[in-house]
Amino acid sequence: MNPTGQRATLAPDLDSETGAVAVLAVLAGDEAYGFPLSAVREILVPPPLTEVPRAPEHFLGVITVRGQIITLIDLPKMLHLEVEQTEAYGRVLLVDNGEELIGVAVDRVIQVYRMEPNQIEYASAMGAELSEYVVGVGRVPSASATDSEDMLILIDPVSLLGE
Amino acid sequence: MSDPRDNVQQEFLAEAQELVEALSRDLLLLDEAHHGNERIDPALINEIFRSVHTLKGIAGMFGYKHVGAVAHALEDLLDDLRLGRTPVGSQLLDLLFDSVERFQRLLALDDPQSPDEEPGVQAYIAAIRSIGAEPEPEEGDPLDKYAIEPAVLSVLTEYEEHRLRACIREGLKLYRLRAAFDLTAIDDSIETLRDVARDDAEIVTYLPSMEGGNEDTIELVVLLASRVPEDDLKAHFEGRYGTIEALEERTHLPTLPPRLTSIPSAAVSMGPHPEEDPSQASLRSVANSVRVDIRKLDHLMNVVGELALVRSAVNRIVDRFKSESMHRQSLMDLDRIGRGFERQLSELRTGILDVRMVPLGQVFNKLARIVRQVARERDKQVRLVVTGANTEVDKLIVEELTDPLMHLVRNAIDHGIEPADARNRVAKPSEGTLALNAYHKGSNVVIEVEDDGGGMNAHQLREAAVSRGLLSADASHELTRQEMLNLVFLPGLSTTSEITDLSGRGVGMDVVKTNILRLGGMISIASEQGSGTKITVTLPITLAIIRALIVTVASRTFALPITAVREAIPYVPEDVRTIQGREVITLRGETLPICDLARLFGFRGSSRKEGRFVVVGSMGNRELGFVVDELIGQDDVIIKALGKSLSSVRGFAGATDLGDQKVALVLDAPALFTEHFDGPGALRALETHP
Repeated sequence: MNPTGQRATLAPDLDSETGAVAVLAVLAGDEAYGFPLSAVREILVPPPLTEVPRAPEHFLGVITVRGQIITLIDLPKMLHLEVEQTEAYGRVLLVDNGEELIGVAVDRVIQVYRMEPNQIEYASAMGAELSEYVVGVGRVPSASATDSEDMLILIDPVSLLGE
Repeated sequence: MSDPRDNVQQEFLAEAQELVEALSRDLLLLDEAHHGNERIDPALINEIFRSVHTLKGIAGMFGYKHVGAVAHALEDLLDDLRLGRTPVGSQLLDLLFDSVERFQRLLALDDPQSPDEEPGVQAYIAAIRSIGAEPEPEEGDPLDKYAIEPAVLSVLTEYEEHRLRACIREGLKLYRLRAAFDLTAIDDSIETLRDVARDDAEIVTYLPSMEGGNEDTIELVVLLASRVPEDDLKAHFEGRYGTIEALEERTHLPTLPPRLTSIPSAAVSMGPHPEEDPSQASLRSVANSVRVDIRKLDHLMNVVGELALVRSAVNRIVDRFKSESMHRQSLMDLDRIGRGFERQLSELRTGILDVRMVPLGQVFNKLARIVRQVARERDKQVRLVVTGANTEVDKLIVEELTDPLMHLVRNAIDHGIEPADARNRVAKPSEGTLALNAYHKGSNVVIEVEDDGGGMNAHQLREAAVSRGLLSADASHELTRQEMLNLVFLPGLSTTSEITDLSGRGVGMDVVKTNILRLGGMISIASEQGSGTKITVTLPITLAIIRALIVTVASRTFALPITAVREAIPYVPEDVRTIQGREVITLRGETLPICDLARLFGFRGSSRKEGRFVVVGSMGNRELGFVVDELIGQDDVIIKALGKSLSSVRGFAGATDLGDQKVALVLDAPALFTEHFDGPGALRALETHP
């Protein structure tokens, strides 16, 4: 349960010959996000939440998971996205940022994608104004019939509340 | 995750640290004896030699090149010292004290081989070497006085031989004690004998005798030197240990084995003697203790907490069955077993807490060194008086206390205690007194740092605060003397216009205060100009488990450490008055400021209107009433830290698991007090400071 101290990033999977990365796609506040699967420790049904007064808005509060106190964050607020009031979230991801486990509230888990390097556009290359927590954007085959591709906002778990 | 190599490294560092601490302790004793012109206990010098010798050995094994080199040079010097070739002097003591700092720095290096350290280490070694050995005065060999068997003499180590000569020269008489020892416990038995003998006699050496003993025991011949009359010695040892007899004094000159006629005059770098095998020495010193990583204890404590949760879950099921009368007998049995379980659990918890406790003496020893060093640097005479060094505190707290206390001690000497001539002018003894007192008070431990120096100038503090823009001139005139003194805790306030290298280098009082608050403690100042300053630090004994009052505020549950709670009274809204914008009530004729937690935390509307309570908190000499909705009861709770991401949120000491996945935030009483009395500005100011 303790953070591993290892940096889990979007570094290519060593087992993959093509440099593909396993990414867990989740839905939160109408946007799809991708987390490196290597950084996700667990997916939970939301435990009871205890709010922390005076904490910044993107902190929903704290939860306890097997005796450990874990901070739960609201991802869209963290990224300063203007979204309508989030409804009750359906799942909590326990994400290891290398220093502590962070709970990330999401609506639901979509699926795990294996992303090839050519499917990822890095933020540094896009020049767009993106949050510091975002590594880039990934394109995956669309789940719906209307679009040909879906976009995943790829999150860097290390910068997520880490140093 | 744990690299075995890392573990070994940790082990080494821990052991090296222990050795350096032991060295530091022994040096202080040596210093004391030297300054008090007392006879220096040879065992003490030998102990110092052994610490350095062992350190040299293990440093070599782990590639700590510089540590090894320094230890090696020191070892030679100490060898001269214990063999009486070099006298104890203040230059030598300074060098030895330097070594403690040096070892600690070298041990903290990321790269133990770092070439940057080379020049410093070489210079230090040169300084050590420059204190050369003085030749032993040539006179008749005192050993000639006694008829000691050549067989015995030939197996004495150089050190033992030196002690033997020194004892005879001091006029001590030699005795031979024959005693049987149990083979399995021989080390312990000899240690015990040393202790028993310490006041009356010195054990020079012991050798197995050729006769006596059987399969399980061995007879030793112990050579003792003593100035106690023979009859008293007999009374002391005979019966307990065996027979004792005085060694015959010789009337004619003997022929000695050649080895004893010449004494090597240069320092000899000795290989370890068989009885000085470093691994053996260190094994013996830690025989009754084990070193445990504090995180393992934290883990055990977590398990205990989990067990308590399991227990309360079982209780709830039992309660559910109680409404049905069918299983009465089984339920009573279950109840009884449950109580037994709780008792054992609480013992387990107490046991783990006990293991975490260490005496404050560990910190005080470090402080004693600082006192000596700073006093010398500032050329002031300071006598350190320590009481309550045995007072025990949680290991984690002790670790965190070192820096703040070190700063307080430096301040006391640097700014508090005056130079001797200034003291004489106001009819104080030239030697200043610095007292470190520790004692338990309820579930807190109190540490006082008190000096009889010049005291603090409250008005100067106020002017400094105004001139630095920390306080408006108007506001400054309303301050009481105590409030002026408290200004010293503001960031960016330094009172000495003269920047000394000591105060310039140290952290400020604001950082001291922040550190103490972080430990859940309080710090207060009392100072009389002209007669001295007393800083009082009050800390919880342990951080891990606290007894707490569980309350609700706007349907949310909070835990308030019971150490901060004095009483709870019903809240009567009609009794609330406002003084200078602050709400107060009157309790037994005294004005009590109150703080509505629902409002403080910005909970809207949901707080109930009636039947609320005021929990009266007390910290140091301040009291503050917290207005809450309900009192749930008292409980032992395990405080767990909030994640690093929430560490900037003030007012909470952590969170605790109440079972059923419910979490209650633990209120940080000292922080809430500070916020209420010194205003949120004071807290914000502290936050911006690193």
